Amino acid sequence: MSTPLSATPLAGSWAGTLAALLGELPQALRFDHHRHDALARFEALGLPGRRDEAWRFTDLSELKARSFVRAAGDRPIDADLLVDLDTPHCLSFVNGHFAAWLSRHGSLPAGVFVGSLREAAEEHPEMLAGALGRVPGLEGHALAALNGALFEDGACIYVPRGVELPGPVHLRFIGVGDDVLAQPRVLVVLEDGARAAVVEDYLGHGRYWHNAVTEIRIGAGAALEHVAVQQEAAAAWHLGALRASQGRDSRLVLRRCAAGARFGRSDIAIDLAGPGAACEIDGLALVGDAQTLASHLLLHHAVPHGSSRQHFKGVLQGRGRHVFDGLIRVAEGALQTDAQQQSRNLLLSKAALATTVPRLEIYNDDVKCSHGATVGYLDEDAVFYLRTRGIGEADARRLLVRAFAGEFIEAVPYADLRERLERRLATYLGEGVA
Amino acid sequence: MIEISNLHASVDDREILRGIDLRIGAGEVHAVMGPNGSGKSTLANVIAGRPGYTVTAGQVLYRGRDLLELEPEERAREGVFLAFQYPVEIPGVNNLYFLKAAVNAIRKHRGEAELDALDFMERVQARAGLVKMDEAFLKRPVNEGFSGGEKKRNEILQMAVLEPTFAVLDETDSGLDIDALKVVADGVNALRNPERAFLVITHYQRLLDYIVPDVVHVLVDGRIVESGGPELALALEERGYGAFGRHGGASRRAGA
Ligand SMILES: Nc1ncnc2c1ncn2[C@@H]1O[C@H](COP(=O)(O)OP(=O)(O)OP(=O)(O)O)[C@@H](O)[C@H]1O
Ligand SMILES: [Mg+2]
Repeated sequence: MSTPLSATPLAGSWAGTLAALLGELPQALRFDHHRHDALARFEALGLPGRRDEAWRFTDLSELKARSFVRAAGDRPIDADLLVDLDTPHCLSFVNGHFAAWLSRHGSLPAGVFVGSLREAAEEHPEMLAGALGRVPGLEGHALAALNGALFEDGACIYVPRGVELPGPVHLRFIGVGDDVLAQPRVLVVLEDGARAAVVEDYLGHGRYWHNAVTEIRIGAGAALEHVAVQQEAAAAWHLGALRASQGRDSRLVLRRCAAGARFGRSDIAIDLAGPGAACEIDGLALVGDAQTLASHLLLHHAVPHGSSRQHFKGVLQGRGRHVFDGLIRVAEGALQTDAQQQSRNLLLSKAALATTVPRLEIYNDDVKCSHGATVGYLDEDAVFYLRTRGIGEADARRLLVRAFAGEFIEAVPYADLRERLERRLATYLGEGVA
Repeated sequence: MIEISNLHASVDDREILRGIDLRIGAGEVHAVMGPNGSGKSTLANVIAGRPGYTVTAGQVLYRGRDLLELEPEERAREGVFLAFQYPVEIPGVNNLYFLKAAVNAIRKHRGEAELDALDFMERVQARAGLVKMDEAFLKRPVNEGFSGGEKKRNEILQMAVLEPTFAVLDETDSGLDIDALKVVADGVNALRNPERAFLVITHYQRLLDYIVPDVVHVLVDGRIVESGGPELALALEERGYGAFGRHGGASRRAGA
């Protein structure tokens, strides 16, 4: 069951929006065929409703009740949105449009490309044609299809065979304004043996909607560390899809912190397509009152000797809602797969709700798979213990939440980002624990 | 130092302490012995302020102030310390960080400046040496994965670092080997001075060979039924609690 498209009119019709966009896009970024295809898929699927199995626990009705327009990029940006990372490579996007004046380029090894998709379309049209939209996964995801039809720009990172891109590439996606829809797109292609690191930041001011798609292709023996920090404006919507395919003996590390947006959801599909591929996903959600944050994952083990780890944690306040839905699918031929999944939630309020949906679909016997889920309140014995040492009650509670969330933060490999996450956590706790 | 009079306390509407009277002067060490379930830990918890324990009658004065109206952290900042019978494991909180937070919370209360990292480390290292605790334990999460004896040693380390005025040790000797027992005793004896007082809860006379108490109290069924000098502990070792109606929990109710 799908909701009819007309429930969420953009300015003009979707098809009209696409036609207008096609008129503006550079030739190499048109992908007319793909875009029409994606739009047809989106129209067939419609915006998901609660009766769609994958959207049972998340509700887009508030989003559907509004209408959005394509967002303009030439907007002034408040300084507090310009979060920085200590690296020479930084690309910024305002409402999905590349903002050259907020970006900087470091020197790059030969053959490496770091730039906007529009720049990539000029310099590497063949690479783009061969890679963009080619990573499998999330075919039934209506919003990823919507992005596929209507994305206007985004970031492209290409690292050729055997090359290491030094320093993380910092991508800032800034949303500004009310009732605007921004649909950035990220493409990361690592050829065999390449190495790179990417940090995506999502933030902004206003009641905007970020509908983002990140697409990652990792060649044999290549390694990518990908960090995503979702700290959107409190009134914003964040819908993010990420799909990755991994070659033989490749390694992918995803670290995902979600803290912002009134409604935030990410859908992740990892295709462990080459033997020996390893994927690690670490997640932390800081859920405030009346906020919903959700992560939906599919780890597809297609071939032997793959390994995957998912560690998701949620902290919930007030009437916050956290959804973790993780599916591990192990194909018949994927012998000696080692897949683990863990979801832990800490409720700071009786009214908060954490939903964990662990799912295993295993089609052979020679596997090691495990999943575990815990939901609990703060340990009151620990609170008392700390208090008997002179630590005030609110501080004791903060200390314990910090201890729960700290594991995620400490594993982030960038000192400045760790500090930023600590500050975010402190702000979060300042509001809710006492 | 501490004056407990006619203290009645209940948990879940069940009366556990049924009229405790206890006065401990500055510089004194008192021992409390008594059968399992007699209310020793309850007394310790009421002194420390654990939520869930309701004082239904009586009072506790600490240096002339009503202790029971203070929050647990306020009591700690005023110098009250409880070494737990079952120290709590706190995953993710580093022992050193925890100690530092505690020391500084107490210093702040006293209007003293926070200790800087170096001074703090010096102080902790000196005290860790005193309780013969390997410094590796300082870097581990509080009590997590510590053996029973290591947890008890950690309690004594905290006591040594926080330098309380009135310390309650709830069966800190239980589960300790002979060497560890001496370490705990040394820890207490090193802190003993005319300004401090201790309440030592124990099942074993042996501890009292090392920490020689001024007074020994026998707690049975929520009441102190006898008090005496150190020789009382020896006598209890001989005769047990039978004479006090040790299984009086049931008979008391039956006869009430
Ligand atoms: N939080 C609680 N909830 C329910 N019952 C409790 C609680 N705390 C204490 N009690 C009960 O109160 C009684 C006294 O317990 P307490 O722990 O004070 O005994 P104790 O003298 O310290 O015993 P032990 O020597 O075994 O440590 C016991 O019957 C115990 O079950
Ligand atoms: Mg006890």
